[in-house]
Amino acid sequence: MKIAIQALRKYTELPDEPRAVRDLLDDVGIEVKRQEVGEYGPVFTVELLANRGDHYCYAGIAREVSGRTGESVEQPEVADLQVGPSPIPVEIQTPLCLVYTATLLKKTRTDELSQGDLLPLIAAGQKPIHPAVDATNLVNLEIGQPAHAFDADKIQGAIVVRTSRAGEHAWPLFEEKPREVPEGTLVIADEHKILAIAGVIGCEDSKATEASSRILLESATFDPVAVRKGARALGLHTDASARFERGSDPSLPLTGAGRVVLLLEQAGWQRVGTTGLFGAWRNPNRLIPLEIGYVASFLEHPLTEEEIRDRLSRYDFEVSPSYPDFLGDERWPIPGDLAEKSRERLRNTLLVRVPPHRLWDVEFAADIAEELAKSIGYNQTPQRLPPVDRGALPTPPEQAKAKVDNLLVASGFFEVFTDGFYGREVREKLGLTPNHLLWNHVETLNSIDRGYSLLKNNALAQAVETVATNLRVNHRLVRAYEWTRVFLPTPTAENGVCKELKLLWLVASGPLRPAHWSDDAPEVDTYFLTGLVEELAAELGLDLSVEKPNLQHPVSGLLHPYRQASITLGGKLVGILGEIHPKVCQNHKIKRERPVFLQLEASILAKAGGRTVHFVPPPETQPVRRDLAFTLPDRVTAGEIADALASAGPTWLTQVAIADRYDHEDHGQPVRTITYTLTFSRETALTTEELNQACEMLIASVGTRFGEKNVRLRA
Amino acid sequence: MASEDVDNIYRDFQRDLAAASDPSALEEIRRIHKGKTSPIKNLLKQIGGLPAEERPRFAAQLNELQSRIEAELQEAITAAEERALAQRLEAEWIDPTLPGRPLGHGARHPVTVVEERILSVLRQLGFELLDGPEVEDPYYNFDALNIPEHHPARDMQDTFWVTGHKLLRSHTTTVQARLLERRPQLPIRIASAGRVYRNEAVDATHLAMFHQLEGIWVDRGLTFAHLKGVLAFIAQSLYGDRPVRFKPKFYPYTEPSVGVDLGCGQCRGSGCDACHGAGWVTILGAGMIHPKVFTEFGFDPSEVSGIAFGLGTTRMAPQAVGVSKVKSLYEQDLRVHTALRREIR
Repeated sequence: MKIAIQALRKYTELPDEPRAVRDLLDDVGIEVKRQEVGEYGPVFTVELLANRGDHYCYAGIAREVSGRTGESVEQPEVADLQVGPSPIPVEIQTPLCLVYTATLLKKTRTDELSQGDLLPLIAAGQKPIHPAVDATNLVNLEIGQPAHAFDADKIQGAIVVRTSRAGEHAWPLFEEKPREVPEGTLVIADEHKILAIAGVIGCEDSKATEASSRILLESATFDPVAVRKGARALGLHTDASARFERGSDPSLPLTGAGRVVLLLEQAGWQRVGTTGLFGAWRNPNRLIPLEIGYVASFLEHPLTEEEIRDRLSRYDFEVSPSYPDFLGDERWPIPGDLAEKSRERLRNTLLVRVPPHRLWDVEFAADIAEELAKSIGYNQTPQRLPPVDRGALPTPPEQAKAKVDNLLVASGFFEVFTDGFYGREVREKLGLTPNHLLWNHVETLNSIDRGYSLLKNNALAQAVETVATNLRVNHRLVRAYEWTRVFLPTPTAENGVCKELKLLWLVASGPLRPAHWSDDAPEVDTYFLTGLVEELAAELGLDLSVEKPNLQHPVSGLLHPYRQASITLGGKLVGILGEIHPKVCQNHKIKRERPVFLQLEASILAKAGGRTVHFVPPPETQPVRRDLAFTLPDRVTAGEIADALASAGPTWLTQVAIADRYDHEDHGQPVRTITYTLTFSRETALTTEELNQACEMLIASVGTRFGEKNVRLRA
Repeated sequence: MASEDVDNIYRDFQRDLAAASDPSALEEIRRIHKGKTSPIKNLLKQIGGLPAEERPRFAAQLNELQSRIEAELQEAITAAEERALAQRLEAEWIDPTLPGRPLGHGARHPVTVVEERILSVLRQLGFELLDGPEVEDPYYNFDALNIPEHHPARDMQDTFWVTGHKLLRSHTTTVQARLLERRPQLPIRIASAGRVYRNEAVDATHLAMFHQLEGIWVDRGLTFAHLKGVLAFIAQSLYGDRPVRFKPKFYPYTEPSVGVDLGCGQCRGSGCDACHGAGWVTILGAGMIHPKVFTEFGFDPSEVSGIAFGLGTTRMAPQAVGVSKVKSLYEQDLRVHTALRREIR
């Protein structure tokens, strides 16, 4: 809302300097977002609180300021309307209309409203149209009562306030043609058509124009939820609906009508007959018991009964006399729950009557405490830390996560954040078919962007997109990681929709090291990721193991079928790594690079450090190393042989390491020769005989287990 | 055998020494003049044939010659080695202006860095981190937090609805709602951080997914003064001695609600573009937990009170790295992340 400070000064005393006015408004919760200087001096754009419909006008803002400063509030002059028979019959058919007034005016001459009166309208950026419309808009800005002027000669028969029927149409203002109104919308109608969407907007076929000679002035209050539903159903949001949706003052319609009438009478209009007043609303006279000591202890600020009374009166709250003077006074009935308590409990209690304009948001003593805090000033009450008995450390999983972060950052990875969703085209780009494990997604129902259609069920889509994004800007060195979660559609999940799987993913592409003038680095490959897993395992104290591919992993099909591996922990599948499938790369226009991807379940963090640490000090005697080379056909992994050697060796075989790989042909078949370095170590010295025997035993063991698979010792 | 022989040996040595220039030639001189077949060794072998009275004098002469040759030879070798080393070092000249070998460190995301800073402050007060689901029941996102259906506050948080009448959480307060439902023992000091979602059009400063960090402290006897004390502690731990001010706000789940402003770090309060002329920037939303929220979860609001606060880590991160448009932090352009690596303040 835009307000002119010059206009606001008519309502209450303000500091001279605009900066001081701004600080004052901020201090009372009318936050100034922008300041400009217009024809009439400073104009502030203020952000209003969502629960304070009463702030949507000059008088409301002035009242809030007055609550803080103690200065009085001047209300605009109002015509004294005489309530009587309605000039046009009105029938209220729904309780959603709380109060409705109808006043008829006729034009006697064609004067304009004064520029001074129009200032709030101009400051708000609204162009004057003609007095009948301007006056209603103005009064909404001045005192917060929306009003509407119908051309009385376009109303056919009685006015009916009701909900719309199925298939009914209305022609909202500023639209080109009528449109259907959803059934159940609160409307103002005559016997033939809808005249207005109640609390939201008038209609073209009943609007007052410059040519109108008689207008029917509507000033009413509607149920906030009904107005909100109507506005949302039609996609219309107006100043009036903003006001009504936040709860307007049901005691104000007659005053509002009186203000419009006064302005129009100055512009040459004349009342015809009396004002009709309808609606079943009666002030509930909400009383809130307030223990005098409660506010003082809550704010830790001393407050006397008199001060409470004075401060609350500035906001139009009424406070009962002291105990026991209110006992038996019919104006101060004791609220039900309090009446049951002993009279003694009332000794330190005041009753606070909520004014009609605050009925929508003030219910509790805490609400009253807030009013008092604002009046004193949020920056004037004391502040202190509560007693703290202890601090806290990061939990073991949080510490484990930090270790992973440190390792990845040291390895050149940048943490990124990707969206929790993506568009439907992702399925195509990943090459998914309806029978693929990743085809089904949880879908968003109302996203305003097609890119948010599906909640992601895998992290690879955004990983490969990360590579593509960087290649598009010629940034080849890609290292990115993210802690995220994927949403796996699971009707049996606790929420009936999906399981949320937290995971770590990372992607790498391009050279192994940043470019340097002195040499060319090799490209990353899956072994780079294997190395990372080994480092992670060491860092976290977890027995993570890189194993043969597990085709059951949902991401497996999106990786190179022969350049991938599963990651297990204690035999359980916890992740996957590998080169991204060339087809997926191609679909993302990645041509020459061979990005690699890793995904690891975050649940492993909870197990970090769980491995029993057996510190083995370095041996006093020097370890002895022997190399054994085996020729392996395809599909027999180096790891299998290493495991076999490790498990078959004596206790003093302390390490089996792969030292070399040599690709060649054997009888026309491609084979690999893997050289294993065996480390033997014992407290007592090893003899050559012992070593020879151990090696022979190991060779025999491999022969027994893998001979049929054509694994041979290479001489 | 005479003194002339000694003199000749020394003269020959000096001649050879003068001709040698590198350590290997000097080693050769050592072999010639001090080796087993050197002239000195030959003379020494002949001492036994001298008359007894001449032997001591001649032996002394030879010993003195040996010592002199050794000393001069060693001096020459040392000098030659130093010359050789100097030559080698000079030959090993490098151009120090060429770029160094990069270690290629990456970086945590600025949002994570900011989040960690906040958590480290909160841990001093005993807060622990708690996580919760992102696909949420509307009850925990709205109803339990005093945001009934058709309340305007729901407009403040345009929501992504998903199948099964669930939604993507629009704030991390859901984690706190779930915690309160479990009725843990007092005091409760919990922080929740993570992704939240708003169904908004994305532009340079608005995102459909961003990060928040919230905290609650529930105990008996917590007051508005405690709320302000905690908020000031957080603000000043993070930002030093910049001025802090409190202002009324509205959040459905707190009453009273408070906004916390920090004196603008760029203009020091005089007003600039960064703070829209206010001299202040808002960093925190907070309040005393609403009685309805307590009642919803079975707490008696006359017995228990609570402090709740939230920080927009996504909004704070750009300030920490000097970026004006937050969107660039949520794109995966690693050129941006590389450039920001050293900018996190």
